[in-house]
Amino acid sequence: MSAVARWVAAKVGAAILVVWIVATLVFFALRLSGDPLEAILGGPGSQAGEETVQAAIDAYALDRPLAWQYLLQLKDIATLQLGDSFARRQPVVDLLAAQLPRTLALAAISLAVAWIIALTGSVIQAASRGRTGIVVGAVMRGLEIVASVMPQFWLGAVLIMVFSSGLGWLPATSAGPGAAALVMPVVTLAIPIAGFLSQVSRDALDDADAAPFAVTARARGAGEVRVLLRHTLRHASLPAIALSGWAFGNLLSGAVVVEVLFARPGLGRLLQEAALARDVPVVIGAVVVVALMYVVVVTLTDVVELAADPRLRGRTRALRSPEIVVGA
Amino acid sequence: MRSPGVSASVAAGAVVLILVAVCAPALLAPGDPLAVSPTEGFLAPSLAHPLGTDESGRGIYTRIVHGARASAGIGVAATAIGVGLGIIIGFVCGLGPRAVDAALTRVVEVLYALPTLVMALLFVAVIGPGPTSSILAIGLATAPGYARMVRTRVRQVARSDYVAYAQHEGVTSTAAFGRHVLPNTLWPLVAMITLGIGQAIVWVSALSFLGLGAEPPSPEWGSMLNAGRVYLSSAWWMTLFPGLAIIATAIALTILGRRLSKG
Amino acid sequence: MPQLRRAIPVLAITSAALLLAGCSGAGDSPPTGEPGGAGAGGTLVYATGDAEPTCLDPHVGGNYPQGLISTQYLEPLFGRDAEGEIVPWLAESADVSDDGLTWTITLRDDISFTDGTPFDAEAVKANIEHLQDPDTASSTGYLSVKEVSDVEVVDESHVALHLESPKSSLLEVLSQQWSAMQSPAGIERGMEENCQAPIGTGPFVVESWTPQQSVTMTRNDDYVPTNPELDHDGGALVDALEWRFIPDAATRQAALASGEVNVIDNPLPTDIAAAEDQGLAHIDAPRPAASNRIELNSSQAPFDDRDVREAFIRAADPSPGIETLFAGTASRSFSVLSSAEPFALSDEELFRTDADEANDLLDAAGWTSRDDDGVRTKDGERLTVRFPVSTNQSTAAEQSLFEQIQANTAAVGFDVDLQPTDLSTWYGALAAHEYEAVSAPYTTVGPDVLRILYHSDGTVPAPSGYFANNAQLTDPDLDQLLTDALATTDADERADLYTQAQRIVLDSFTVLPLYDQQNHFLTNGVEGVTTLHAISTPTFVNAALTD
Repeated sequence: MSAVARWVAAKVGAAILVVWIVATLVFFALRLSGDPLEAILGGPGSQAGEETVQAAIDAYALDRPLAWQYLLQLKDIATLQLGDSFARRQPVVDLLAAQLPRTLALAAISLAVAWIIALTGSVIQAASRGRTGIVVGAVMRGLEIVASVMPQFWLGAVLIMVFSSGLGWLPATSAGPGAAALVMPVVTLAIPIAGFLSQVSRDALDDADAAPFAVTARARGAGEVRVLLRHTLRHASLPAIALSGWAFGNLLSGAVVVEVLFARPGLGRLLQEAALARDVPVVIGAVVVVALMYVVVVTLTDVVELAADPRLRGRTRALRSPEIVVGA
Repeated sequence: MRSPGVSASVAAGAVVLILVAVCAPALLAPGDPLAVSPTEGFLAPSLAHPLGTDESGRGIYTRIVHGARASAGIGVAATAIGVGLGIIIGFVCGLGPRAVDAALTRVVEVLYALPTLVMALLFVAVIGPGPTSSILAIGLATAPGYARMVRTRVRQVARSDYVAYAQHEGVTSTAAFGRHVLPNTLWPLVAMITLGIGQAIVWVSALSFLGLGAEPPSPEWGSMLNAGRVYLSSAWWMTLFPGLAIIATAIALTILGRRLSKG
Repeated sequence: MPQLRRAIPVLAITSAALLLAGCSGAGDSPPTGEPGGAGAGGTLVYATGDAEPTCLDPHVGGNYPQGLISTQYLEPLFGRDAEGEIVPWLAESADVSDDGLTWTITLRDDISFTDGTPFDAEAVKANIEHLQDPDTASSTGYLSVKEVSDVEVVDESHVALHLESPKSSLLEVLSQQWSAMQSPAGIERGMEENCQAPIGTGPFVVESWTPQQSVTMTRNDDYVPTNPELDHDGGALVDALEWRFIPDAATRQAALASGEVNVIDNPLPTDIAAAEDQGLAHIDAPRPAASNRIELNSSQAPFDDRDVREAFIRAADPSPGIETLFAGTASRSFSVLSSAEPFALSDEELFRTDADEANDLLDAAGWTSRDDDGVRTKDGERLTVRFPVSTNQSTAAEQSLFEQIQANTAAVGFDVDLQPTDLSTWYGALAAHEYEAVSAPYTTVGPDVLRILYHSDGTVPAPSGYFANNAQLTDPDLDQLLTDALATTDADERADLYTQAQRIVLDSFTVLPLYDQQNHFLTNGVEGVTTLHAISTPTFVNAALTD
């Protein structure tokens, strides 16, 4: 089998694995409260009629043995048969399909902005040497830490208070036309990611900076910025590219908060409303979609990584996750 | 161990302060965080109330100090669940047969990649909202991260030279485990836990913000933040200060954790 | 070229992002129609903080958000004026037989639905049958026509409703939005389609619904002026109405202040108080029927003892909290009925605060010992009051008020266990009787709400487990008064009977009235916004944009 075929096979295998694991997770989660039927219908006070109850039992095979239910769950999730939301009387797939593109767009833009912020920070830091360099470095490190632990709902609320209620520069909600309404949600989402990317980039930058090729370049008289742009930046961005997969997951978490705070329609807001209403079929559907999105994004970042780092070609790579200590 | 730098010392000092607030809040804030005084609601920061009052006239400063126990408690509880599960899974992977390790690790990697909040919402939707489910949800969602770390470390140590020498010299596996594997695995875990508690506090307060946590009248920081956000334009101190408390705690724990992990 | 290769990762991600953004997301804004254009024309933007309806047809289910939005495109048979009198709307008049079992309603003959179907007796029959059909799953509208056993089409403009038992509140419930008239042809399209865009006779027509974002309605150019609040002869003045869903109060307020939206509901009390300074107009329209109150479960300990109930009420002291938390926008109520009801009986002295009296009452009732937390105990039992709170229904200010009541009653030895929960768990707790105190809003029209809430029939749960009589009152005298009041259409007799009934309810100390059901609106850049006096929903038939 050629390297490409092996690579594709590995990706497909990884995708199947994700689906299986998510299905099992969902199966386990659904029975966490002890009564899956109650959870599916929307909690103890759902006041569901007899017909609705029977429909739920049929859909999830709750009157059959546990093993059968598990297999049914696997099949349903693998074929994306996500059932109906009993609370909203609509198929789950329709609800998700309507909201997914908006959240994806928001996440993609935020990721790009986070990248730009992180790389700008790296450039600034590399360009300042000596005493200023140390001060800048310390400030950067401080900002990075603050950015990565700042609760997004707090950041977003403060931004609204300052830029919307206070200065009136930006609209508070998303329904206003065009780019202005995107600024605050994107910034709120991007900053924590930028914090992490920046830390990772800087570590890699420091390593690359001390590497032989950089030393040699300086010895041949190349200026700092030249060294940075031609050599070290690419090395610095490698771990950050790998992190983009994880960053995407973090963005989806953040999207829940940001969409609620800025009244943007999207998957995150759908997820929060569903959790509040205990509309479990929708929540399960959202989890499945998120997992699949993750697979897609990681595959994409693998492609980008292979394009950027020729050393990686010719070896198959499994699903990558960052070595960073905190969760998505 | 290297001598601690300036930032680590400051962080350690902050953590000590937080510990005092957790164990003996009355030392730092003698007032009663639960005593309502409706006529004194929405007062801006002043000498009498350094950080202002909330909607029921309770001092924000007093509530933040007394709330450290609730918030830290939630953070610790969630982390405990995550770490507990993580240790079990991590040791099984690290010390078990290769097949088990390979299979479980793949599963853990996938679970680790799923966004924490999304997973937490799944659990909360099923169990129902509330502080207990928030703790459980965040604990379960962060367990894979700890499992990964424990497993890596365990494998490293278990295959290290000094363990091999010990076994060569006839030390039993259990003794080797107790004297070498365990201590060398758990110390980095301490660093990770420190970082994790800070993150857990942030996650739980995010759930409170979304309307899925909190229980009155407890002065838990996340629910204070959630309550204060409603009055953001008029009583900004109700949101700003609890938020700063959360951020400061998370930063202090992060710096400390990083410092510890560097040995 | 080396530089290009280096730039690939950044370029790839950025272009993917921009591509996605271009295809959807940022570009996917619905017809936003900037509010603008003085006088006639333009799009009025309304932002609601209530939950987004799952169906735009208020026959299905029947909650307040549905009432709010359907006011714009559906009209009921009757309306109500500021004095609480029934006025004609789609119907001209009504006569009742002597035995109270047959109501003959005369309809207007000059109205059609926006799909061309004529509004006539057949249409009324189809609507009432739709409400009674179990497949419609109507909760509120169903209750209003429960007693109707048969709808007889006398002729095109006359319909006779035959009742199983007399119902003097029939016209009042027919003025509610949840029994408004829809096109029978529209109903026949099936629930899925009808939920997306019900067809009515109102000043606006539903054009499209983008879930989680907004509903767009356009002016009905063929509108026949029937709305009792109309101040001109004609239909709506604006071209279109955009109904946005913005659940977050602060975001909603910011959108209003910046001019992005023209009208919001559920404003924060502090924002209402600051409205005038900010150049915003304020509309205060308390909802009818019952006031916002706390009910004590008299069917189990400790509130099965009237003295303990009275002690709780003496200690609660909600007035100072109401004053501060609501920034003066809500006034304390001492009546079970809303101030919008003409028959409301108010008794301030009965609800006086007196902590000493509370302590004496509790001592006399046997709750004399205290445990380490200061909570009173009796025979080993703590004086615990479980108080589930639905965070969907209770505003932040109200939840804070409950916290204060918790602290106030703790001072005399009560242990109030406030349990904020989601709506579903809340219903579950009520159905299972796992509560000692609860605040359950109920919106309908007219004093008959007393029967729904306090007649002993209300303790019998529906198949779903729901019951409305949270106080668990089972007083035969009260039952008789309420049944008699329902049977008589004589206004004076009704007034007298309902006054007596309220006296019994108040004296039982099972209810602690707080304030009117708050229903505030803030407007910016629009004039002519009025509220209907049925369920206090705003109508935009007179509205015009001002800047």
